[in-house]
Amino acid sequence: MKSTKPNMMRRRLLATGLAAPFVSAMPGILTPARANDTVKLQFMYPVGVSGDINTIISNMIAEFNATHDGVEVEAIYAGSYDNTEQKVITSLGVGEPPALWLPINSSLQTFLGLDALEDITEQAKADDIYDDFIGGFLDTAVSDGRLYGLSYQPSTPVLYYNKDAFAEAGLGDAPVTWDELMTAAQALTIRDGDALKRWGLTIGGGWHDWMFEGYCRQNGLVPWEADKVLWDRPEAIEALEFWKKMVDAGCMAPASTWQGSANDFMAGSTAMLYHSTGSLTNLRTSSPFEVGVAFMPKRKQFGASQGGGPIMIAKNQSDAKKEAAWTFARWMTNTENQAAWSRATGYLAVRKSSWQQPEMQQYLAEVPQAEVAMKQAEYSGAFLQVPAYSRARDNLKSAIDRTLAGEIAPEAALTTATADTNREIQRVQRRQG
Amino acid sequence: MSDATLTPAADRPAATVPARRPRWRKTLRENWLHAVMLPLALLWLSPLVWILVTSLKTQTEVFDQSAGFWPASLTFSNYPSTLSVAPFGTYLVNSVLVTGSILAGQLVTITLAAYAFARLSFPGKNLLFTLFLLQVMFPIYAIFLTNFVTLREMGLVNTIPAMIVPFVASGYGTFMLRQSFRQVPAELSDAARLDGCGHLSILWHVYLPLVKPTLIAFGIISVVTHWNDYMWPLLVTNSEGIRTLPIGLGLLAKADSGADWPRLMAGTTIVVSPLLLLFVIFQRRFIDSFMHTGVK
Repeated sequence: MKSTKPNMMRRRLLATGLAAPFVSAMPGILTPARANDTVKLQFMYPVGVSGDINTIISNMIAEFNATHDGVEVEAIYAGSYDNTEQKVITSLGVGEPPALWLPINSSLQTFLGLDALEDITEQAKADDIYDDFIGGFLDTAVSDGRLYGLSYQPSTPVLYYNKDAFAEAGLGDAPVTWDELMTAAQALTIRDGDALKRWGLTIGGGWHDWMFEGYCRQNGLVPWEADKVLWDRPEAIEALEFWKKMVDAGCMAPASTWQGSANDFMAGSTAMLYHSTGSLTNLRTSSPFEVGVAFMPKRKQFGASQGGGPIMIAKNQSDAKKEAAWTFARWMTNTENQAAWSRATGYLAVRKSSWQQPEMQQYLAEVPQAEVAMKQAEYSGAFLQVPAYSRARDNLKSAIDRTLAGEIAPEAALTTATADTNREIQRVQRRQG
Repeated sequence: MSDATLTPAADRPAATVPARRPRWRKTLRENWLHAVMLPLALLWLSPLVWILVTSLKTQTEVFDQSAGFWPASLTFSNYPSTLSVAPFGTYLVNSVLVTGSILAGQLVTITLAAYAFARLSFPGKNLLFTLFLLQVMFPIYAIFLTNFVTLREMGLVNTIPAMIVPFVASGYGTFMLRQSFRQVPAELSDAARLDGCGHLSILWHVYLPLVKPTLIAFGIISVVTHWNDYMWPLLVTNSEGIRTLPIGLGLLAKADSGADWPRLMAGTTIVVSPLLLLFVIFQRRFIDSFMHTGVK
């Protein structure tokens, strides 16, 4: 039928097949031999914001390793926050956790439920952590008065606004109260007949439950306790009714995605945007107009909940490793490093002393918007630190989405979501005994 | 798109001349497929073009509505700055190694398994085959933890084999190939046996040449799947030196601040181009093997 060509193909195929086991055995040989006298630490981190986080972290780790004899940290990029959590939990599952990791602060109760976290209260008290860390940031790693992590890359949602659009609409400063927010949103919405040209306001989707918690706090309610959520309280229902009112008035987008909403803002398709402080650098540098940053408007008070995460230390490891891990976590959050990290990424520096650094003062002079987010931190607290927080978030997001889509009334949606979530939390707690 | 609609329109004046009418019809009859395929091809190409164009823009240009589709000036600097984010060269070598080893392993295992299921009879055959099919139905995420535990016991975590070993057998491939083997007339293998062939020679000389299209189809599916796999390599590897391309891409898609589009698209171009190149090079062979086969 054919020449010898197919035969050669087959032979090559066979050869490749035979080579597979040998090829795959090679990297095992290449694994570096482990020295005995240095403490090796693994540190798993996610990449949350623009800027070359990978490079920045690698450089920090290299500097740490160069200046600390006897400790060697290996930085392991672990994907998004969710991926990082999965990777850490998998390693915990086989009893070999990394020495430290950087998850989102909401996962605190999840890791405590797995008995995975080292209590670092005493070390922190002996050090200057309690004096120098900004209170709202420190609290994100506190449970029952004990400290389980050092806040490293905190963020809160803030209100971004398009200054050009504000000037066009004859508006002056950013809105300060919910009522002003709605008036501004209506003035900024542009329609051409039925076609929408620009939304007045978009709340970044995907994390809109995070913003919603801010609304609850602005209305005087922290919508969760250590073992339950409180979304069925009148303050929370009122907040969702306000969202619904804005959507019905046609000035707020009923749904969006996290990246899509940021893109819409940069493209001028929405005049105001609730998004993370972590987006500041990207929004500021990528928008073809001047970007304003303001507190999220208040009802009874200003309020926000913390995103981002603390560096946590594993409980299940040798004392030598724990001590080295503390040294490393302490070093990553020291004054100079926090100042440098904040400038490079747009995250907020966690230490008061970092903000006093000359280069930080200079940064604030250049980018006054950064200070807004830092000041809002005074009014902020931890975000939804309940067991099974991931399911809780899904329930709340779905309740909000269905309400804004007009499928269900705000009160009914929140009551159901609360009941479902609290049942799930109880189930998880029973399982953990 | 415009080419497709123009072809008949350009010929229309000629169509008024009665003598030429049949020729016009003939052209249309022979080439109508092109008129259908061309818009489809353009549609298929459009995301790729968009990726390429975006990778040459500046960050601000991507969202500026007044800037238009084409970049004002070609910003090639996105490529070097993407490459500086992670060691993409190492990732590329690893991706090739992982995807290649998986495919090689799979071709051996699925061929042997499919032959056994298609042509041999042994006790428990149906039960075993059902188990193989069950494996197809389990989403890979459901068995991540058990796979991880197994690999750890084998001491393979954080090595390149960790990304290969769990995938060297494929229930889906076995099923696909078994169906093809069953379509090969039994007379052919009987004849080979009369000539003194054992199982392996029959497999080699009779079955494999006849199911080449299936093997190639499976090969494409397998390569694309494992080339793009993100979660499993992320889970089982820690060191930069052994990671694969999709993990490098993940570094550019930021959760907190929205993606860095120009560099993400530059990275995507880097990641997909080896596959595209491979396809362009082997395109004729792929298509030939689908055309020239004894089995339908």
